[in-house]
Amino acid sequence: MKGRYEDEKLFWIPVLIAAVFLLPFLLKGMTNSYRYYLYVLNIAGIYMILTVGLDLLSGYTGLISLGHAAFFAIGAYLSAILVDQGGLPFELSLIIAPLLTGLFGLVIGFPALRLEGMYLGLATMGFGFIVKRMIIALRQWTQGSNGLQVSSPHIFGFTFRNDWDNYFLIYTGVVLTVVIARRMVRSKLGRAFMAIRDSERAAEAVGIRLAKYKMISFFISGVFAGFAGVLFAHTSHFISTDHFDILLSVYFIIMILVGGVGSIYGAVLGALFIVLLDNLAIPLFKDWLQTFITVEAGDIQSLIFGLIMFLFIIFQPTGLYGLWLKVRIYWKLFPFNPRKRFS
Amino acid sequence: MTELLTGLSQEVVSGIALGCIYALVALGFTLIYRATEVVNFAQGELMMVGAYVNFFLVSRISANLGITGAWMYFIAFMGALLFAIIFGIILDLVINRPLRDQPVFSVIMATISISIILRALVAMIAGPFTHIQSSPFGDGVVSFNKIAISVQDVFIIFCAIVLVILFYIFFRKSRWGVAMQATSADPTAAQLMGIPVKKVYRLVWIFATLVATVGGILLAPKTLLDTNIGFIGLKAFPAAVLGGFGSVPGAIFGGVILGIIETISAGTLSYHFAWIKEINDVIPWLVLIAVLMVKPDGIFGIAKVKKV
Repeated sequence: MKGRYEDEKLFWIPVLIAAVFLLPFLLKGMTNSYRYYLYVLNIAGIYMILTVGLDLLSGYTGLISLGHAAFFAIGAYLSAILVDQGGLPFELSLIIAPLLTGLFGLVIGFPALRLEGMYLGLATMGFGFIVKRMIIALRQWTQGSNGLQVSSPHIFGFTFRNDWDNYFLIYTGVVLTVVIARRMVRSKLGRAFMAIRDSERAAEAVGIRLAKYKMISFFISGVFAGFAGVLFAHTSHFISTDHFDILLSVYFIIMILVGGVGSIYGAVLGALFIVLLDNLAIPLFKDWLQTFITVEAGDIQSLIFGLIMFLFIIFQPTGLYGLWLKVRIYWKLFPFNPRKRFS
Repeated sequence: MTELLTGLSQEVVSGIALGCIYALVALGFTLIYRATEVVNFAQGELMMVGAYVNFFLVSRISANLGITGAWMYFIAFMGALLFAIIFGIILDLVINRPLRDQPVFSVIMATISISIILRALVAMIAGPFTHIQSSPFGDGVVSFNKIAISVQDVFIIFCAIVLVILFYIFFRKSRWGVAMQATSADPTAAQLMGIPVKKVYRLVWIFATLVATVGGILLAPKTLLDTNIGFIGLKAFPAAVLGGFGSVPGAIFGGVILGIIETISAGTLSYHFAWIKEINDVIPWLVLIAVLMVKPDGIFGIAKVKKV
């Protein structure tokens, strides 16, 4: 029997983690505008946590969610309200708010037991609209559509004041998330998820309780999204319902599709790729395009994202991670290039 | 009491007109779903594109050719239909052909990406302005017994009924209609019986864009024309699920019922209960989740046995 991590070199993992934490120092040495790059990387990190959770739900369990921005919003608002209005310490909120968001995951997971494919997509999409509306309606706590100011994260006497501090907070979260998610998918739980994805009937036949595992999947995904939401609320200091749009849910799915559905590293790569593209590449492209026609930034952004998603679905359904695997195998077997095997 | 009744019946009438728009959008993706099992999330955007093309043609025809009045609207309408046919063929090539035999998830995301692309393209080409589409019937209002209906609404209801009857006759009586039914029942068997399945799929996409375009042209004078009218296409999903996804009568009844629910909740119910006002925007989605929890097959749907 093969070991759990037989197919990869574990040696690289500590190196990668060290690289993640050395990156800000490297950036600081290289450029003066490192704070902006750190800000961009922070957004990418928050989205990585969420997309890893979404990938566990959509990529591993095969349940579509078109309303993940709702879980993100619930986590963000819960933590903002608990810390700033309820007086809960941030350290506790970092644990409690994601767990409560996970319970919301169970709420949507329960009707989802009877649904599949497109019906589930529609139900989660409806859930997204309803949550957004509810946040506005509870204006006593959330200040409606005006948005909410949020305090800085504060852990054991240390306050995270700027993007530099936040980077270490967020990327600790990312590393934890990735490690936990990878342990999870290699465990009994992850195998059950994948069995359900591949065939519900067959999974049921070998004794996997569909209802239980689907609920667990929704719960875990909700917890991750809530965790990302807490970090988002406290590091961006301002949250408003405009941000948690249906389009954001779609962007999350673009991230996992571009990264590669059904792989944890894929979700991380996808989030990084899309956020870098959005913040670094698209502004340049927009300036170039603006010499020909006048366009709005949002339109360019959605046009490019739409095109990227479409092209990936048609030409590279396994995403960036799949591409990397192909390249890796290609080099391993270099002189004997088995082109046919990958077509 | 009579005031309440008059208000309610007024809302029912406007609800039916709004519901007919939902019904037309829902009819479009029901056709596609029946034939190809692709769920087209871009149907609302097809409607938006149709409305924009019609608007563009109307303004061009009156400005460049100097034709005004009924002919202007008629020529623009025909032009928009011609465009819809070409657009349907393109969509068949772009969406339907490459996505055969892909998992549902990819197909849904591909149509969503098409909808994002279409909305961005239209916003870039037409500019970020809100247009006002004039109605060929002006602002005329017919009233019966204190209930007022705008002529545009009457025309919407009339068009929807005519379209549905045409589709019904087409599906039941014509060769192509029967071929379509056969294809949606079992594409492989249909192909073996000599039905040109690819042509049938193309025809289905053309029909779907045609219905969407007609819906867009009818809707545009009722609301302001901007890229957000594509979101009405999303509301047609609750309508279709309410009626029973994949069922043609279901799409129509679901649309009309949802339209009535929406106008009544925005009118009388909001007036009497303050909290309804808060959830007005999401009423269709609450209906959707309620239907999915109670009876996922909708009113007219048939419970399907899952193929392994």
